[in-house]
Amino acid sequence: MKIKVYGADLTAWVAAACLARSGNDVTIEGQNIPKDKPLYDISILRDEPGLLEQIQLQVKEGRLKRNSKTSDTADIYWLALEHGEYDQAQKLIVQLGEQTTENLLIINQCNFGVGASDQLQALLNEDANQAIVYIPNNLQEGQALQGFSQPKRIIIGSDNNWAITATRALIKPYLQNIEHLQIMSCREAEFTKFAITGMLAIRLGYINELANLADKLDVDIDTIRDGMGADPRVGSHYLSPGCGFGGQNFNQYIARFSEIFENKGHNSLLKTVITENEIQKELLFRKLWQHYQCDLTDKAVAIWGASFKPGTASIDNAPSLKIIDALLAQGVHVKVHDPEALNNLRQHYAQETRISFCDSAYSAAADCHALLLVTEWPEYWSPDYMRLLDQMHTPLIIDGRNVFDKEALEMYGFIYIGVGR
Amino acid sequence: MTVNQSPAWNALTEHAKDIGQSPISKLFTSDPDRFKKLSYSAANCMLDFSKQRITQTTIEGLINLAEQQNLQQKIEALFKGDIVNPSENRPALHTALRQPEKESLIVNGTDISAEIHHSLVQMESLVDQIHNGQWRGYDGSPIKHVVNIGVGGSDLGPLMTCRALSQFAPTNIRHIDLHFVSSMDGSQLAQLLDRIDPPSTLFIVSSKSFSTIDTLANSNTAREWLINASGMSIELISQHHFIGITASPKKAAEWGIPEKNQLHFWDWTGGRYSMWSVIGMAIALKVGNSNFREFLAGANTMDSHFREAPLAENLPVLLAMIGIWNINFQDIHAHAILPYDGRLAHLPAYLEQLEMESNGKNVTLNGHSVDYATCPILWGEVGPNAQHAFYQLLHQGTESVMCDFIAPALRYQDQGEELQQQHQLALANCLAQSRLLALGDSMLDNAENSPIHKRYTGNQPSTTIMLDQLSPLSFGALIALYEHKVYVQSAIWEINPFDQWGVELGKQVATSLLNDFENTNNTNNDSSTDGLIRFVLQQRQTARNKEDATQDHVSQTGKESNQ
Repeated sequence: MKIKVYGADLTAWVAAACLARSGNDVTIEGQNIPKDKPLYDISILRDEPGLLEQIQLQVKEGRLKRNSKTSDTADIYWLALEHGEYDQAQKLIVQLGEQTTENLLIINQCNFGVGASDQLQALLNEDANQAIVYIPNNLQEGQALQGFSQPKRIIIGSDNNWAITATRALIKPYLQNIEHLQIMSCREAEFTKFAITGMLAIRLGYINELANLADKLDVDIDTIRDGMGADPRVGSHYLSPGCGFGGQNFNQYIARFSEIFENKGHNSLLKTVITENEIQKELLFRKLWQHYQCDLTDKAVAIWGASFKPGTASIDNAPSLKIIDALLAQGVHVKVHDPEALNNLRQHYAQETRISFCDSAYSAAADCHALLLVTEWPEYWSPDYMRLLDQMHTPLIIDGRNVFDKEALEMYGFIYIGVGR
Repeated sequence: MTVNQSPAWNALTEHAKDIGQSPISKLFTSDPDRFKKLSYSAANCMLDFSKQRITQTTIEGLINLAEQQNLQQKIEALFKGDIVNPSENRPALHTALRQPEKESLIVNGTDISAEIHHSLVQMESLVDQIHNGQWRGYDGSPIKHVVNIGVGGSDLGPLMTCRALSQFAPTNIRHIDLHFVSSMDGSQLAQLLDRIDPPSTLFIVSSKSFSTIDTLANSNTAREWLINASGMSIELISQHHFIGITASPKKAAEWGIPEKNQLHFWDWTGGRYSMWSVIGMAIALKVGNSNFREFLAGANTMDSHFREAPLAENLPVLLAMIGIWNINFQDIHAHAILPYDGRLAHLPAYLEQLEMESNGKNVTLNGHSVDYATCPILWGEVGPNAQHAFYQLLHQGTESVMCDFIAPALRYQDQGEELQQQHQLALANCLAQSRLLALGDSMLDNAENSPIHKRYTGNQPSTTIMLDQLSPLSFGALIALYEHKVYVQSAIWEINPFDQWGVELGKQVATSLLNDFENTNNTNNDSSTDGLIRFVLQQRQTARNKEDATQDHVSQTGKESNQ
């Protein structure tokens, strides 16, 4: 199949890589990506594990091209534009409708809101089998390739039988592990996508709120969480308390969904979750501030983990940024380690002289008055405690993801502060 | 010779007799170009005096009086930093506060311009820190609520300006909620403390002397509230939840505000002239640092106009002299301030202090009692609302009242047509009222056939002040216009507009009365004061007896059930 993918962000690249890998002839059209920019210079590709290599391979094999002539036609068009690019989507669809006389299949994965696919469909001639199919984007940063090529669940949003059959054929190679495939209207599919993302955010917001309360009531949130998770009505997914969630895709969907609620005159629960999450991102700073009695003058603080979650180099909306900003504003010397995200962080803080970007976790911790674990990369889970004790100025560990054993650390001689315990 | 025996004054007295024969309506019919001749523009303000009981001859006479009183030299003295406040032996340099940084001003061998800008930059850096969410409360939370504690000049100016200019706040600073607390009885504070969150609340204590009892009483209550909520020491709370703005650094430090949280201004800044200094921090917090600078620039434009324009074209001078005409030659002793724009709701209260505290004086600079009227009673309200309150008196009462109508020509330019229509409605009302006050029902056909209780005699003079639109720039100019008007009038009346000895003695008497509330049998004072104190003490005793009785009842019933 000849497929054109429109978009410049992670969703577009992942779709292009996976569709090409399955033998399709793919072109990716991203208005912001200059064709001559080397692939390894595109940070989205570097940040997602395996993506850059896969893209390079597909380009080399000749199955993936960048920015063709716009007049070239394809069998299928794949829309993965950013949520602010609705006008461009409209223009594109009108143009595709005009230049195509035969069947036209457009897969929409954009976060344009509920009803957007129907509005785009209205620009086409459905009687002539010009159809838009909405497939919710299930992208999870850090596991994006696997998520696309071996999904457990897929929703196809369409009322058009011809389009549904054509879409099934297109995604056939990715259905080996499928547990649930559901077909519904575009509007319902769009709503479902928002509803799932919103539910996850609310669970995270709730467990964080519980953890903050546990802090004050002197109970251990881990015990509470185990108890909650054992109840099948609750389950244990998305119940890890911590210092806030980040990332680009997840946040955009939640923000957009909250807007939809607001536009319909509802005071959204999600809006509260978003606001509280921003506050939660500074939790580790507040714990540090309280520990040092509101005075961080001349302190040095280590940050372990800067990406918004393990497995990605992306720092979009990452809690680490808010913590670092707060520390810098208090005149703290910040020493950061992250296995993947240091380059992104260096660019973000290009003008800042009071940050050290450290090659090893231990060199970051050396001479520090506190160690803040912000992102739970596996390499931090079991450090050489004696070496840390030896190197740190003050053995204070503030564990933003509850990865360490509190009792063990206290036994070694650390001052341990977790989230909700 | 006092001013009211001077030739220029006498000439005006004579002229007033002539004018007395011509009501305002007649002045209009006799000169179709009246508006053109009697309206003036400068510094984003347009002043229309044509609805005053004046002619061009009046203005000439008034300018003669101003010249006779050496006004031009007195204006220069104000700007140069001469001692214009002799009873406190200091200059009044509010104009220096809004002077551009590049212009230096040497007073007593010090370049005060450099000091002023140093202080402003310090303020801006604190404002940025708060806007950026990097001023932290005791638990590390960013500040969300800022409470300005101050009274008089430390309250009215910032409060008025925040209300007037709030629409100019950039969206990225609107997360800060600003509150004002002034009253010594704690009623504003008590209500506020119920609604706000201790760790994210910062108090700005604004007091020139840092000994104002109203402000310190509120600040002490605020600090106790924070200590109780946090369980932290008084030092930590003072350090992280209080900023002190003062001309008395030592006193602020004694109260517990560390040096780094202090912003300073100087004894040559009068309280009611102080919002241009760091006292304006609340304004900068509300509308942003750059809008605050615009506001200063607007005032500076009016300053330059006041200093440089010939007296006969000088807006503050004309506004002041026409006031003198009304007060001293037309026998009018009430002055209503009537803004036709809800954003100017606090302007009347601000001008009450500015004018009445400045010029409500009965002694000349030479220490003689005056035998002519000085500052009139000033009051006001947002015009359209006042129409439903006291306009009845303006139109048909027995008092002569002069009015200032104030409105922007343009509003809601980038908003809906409905709102623009509402503004036009307000403007139509503004013009209708000033017209009716000036002309009476003479402008209507057949008015004389109405019953007498429906008649309007008119001939009430007013000035209309139109801004092109309300902005930091034009609002700064408007306030400076009134400040300079007050100064000009004081120069004519030969009084000191920069002291306020009339508010001192009451504070001392209040302090001495505090003890009398402890003693039921006191007979230290006049019978009224003693009687009122006794009444309060009796009420207290009755309340206490009731409380005891309830407790007795509770313990009695408790015993019974135990048995």
